[in-house]
Amino acid sequence: MSSFANLIITRGISTSCVRHGKRNFKKFSLFNKRGSRQYKEAQRNNPEPDIPIYKRGLRDTGFYNEGKYVHVPEKVPELIVPDLTGFKLKPYVSYKTPDVVQSEFTAEDLFNVVYAPKIAQDLKEGKLNNDGTPLEPSAEEKLTKEDAYNRARQTGSDIF
Amino acid sequence: MRLTNLLFSRVGKYSKDYSNLPDSYIKRAMEQVYWKNPKGPQYRPNAVVQRKKFHFDTERPWSAQFRQENSPNRHHKKIFVEPIKEWSFFRGDRVEVLVGKDKGKQGIVKQIIQERNWVLVEGLNCELKKLGDDKEFAGVYVQSEKPLLVTSEVSLVDPSDFATTGFEWRFTESGERVRVSTRTGRIIPTPPSAEETIDYKTKSTYKEQPKDTVADDVTEVTFEPRLATFEMDLMDKMGIKEDRVPPKSFWY
Repeated sequence: MSSFANLIITRGISTSCVRHGKRNFKKFSLFNKRGSRQYKEAQRNNPEPDIPIYKRGLRDTGFYNEGKYVHVPEKVPELIVPDLTGFKLKPYVSYKTPDVVQSEFTAEDLFNVVYAPKIAQDLKEGKLNNDGTPLEPSAEEKLTKEDAYNRARQTGSDIF
Repeated sequence: MRLTNLLFSRVGKYSKDYSNLPDSYIKRAMEQVYWKNPKGPQYRPNAVVQRKKFHFDTERPWSAQFRQENSPNRHHKKIFVEPIKEWSFFRGDRVEVLVGKDKGKQGIVKQIIQERNWVLVEGLNCELKKLGDDKEFAGVYVQSEKPLLVTSEVSLVDPSDFATTGFEWRFTESGERVRVSTRTGRIIPTPPSAEETIDYKTKSTYKEQPKDTVADDVTEVTFEPRLATFEMDLMDKMGIKEDRVPPKSFWY
């Protein structure tokens, strides 16, 4: 009971700043000019800084090896521009142009272009088997599903 | 943003048609963003504080004068605009003025301000403004048209007898929508200058500029359907041969 009697209620003033000045730095983008002088000096002298030096999207054309810069010619960007001589399209479209309405090019349309004429001709000349397969198949008709799949993958494409 | 706010603060189609400016430009020129969330995954996108209510007047929404009229902390009294089901007054229409000192005169619609149901009639319902007067100089008078309400202050003119008439939208036998005079039953044709913009009188008479692709080149179909993917086409074009067959892969 005696300890209760000695209890003195006081209000303290905290002299440290909120959370000891720690901030959620994920919220702040620290570009080169931001931060204290010490921080910027550390960034300058550190060969591999924790926060990478912001170069406005510019990529280095080399790397640092033991403090020395090594230039790599392969890292120099090369712009490959197509030759546009004889190319008729220009930046803008004339107001005179009528609206172009095109339907979607479907698998059926491709079939009509590639297979349909041959089938119609075979039917006319009676060059079809009883089950509808051609007697003299063209190169496209000989193509199996497996072959077509492999041909598309031989390009190195990763669409499949 | 509230849907009603969005609907009522929009610039009308017919008031921006003549300028031939893209909607994206008009939006950019009008908007007054006071605060916007920075870009980044930690911020909620689309959180924006901006001016929502605009005061529409005779100034065009993309002009500096409009910006000045709607500058921050400048607020106007709410204006009640009668909703119109379908806009029926076009540039080049012959109308008769029903009010003011030019009452009974006919003129041509020069400009449309759809946000306020207004039209400007060329040379009618004008005001004179004295500009640049000081002690030595008397100033110059500049004449400018005052807007007229399409709901009550102007009336369309029947082209057959040049008298005012009511009208309604009807279909022709070919399925075209036209304005028809209710008094005489004659079609009130849409004037060709309704199509006019600052860049051309009509689309068909537009003079092509050096950087314009001509219609024939735009509409030319150069696509030939083949039994090949895009990559196979490219390899054919560039003469790349490939015999190796990639190994099979499986997904589990």
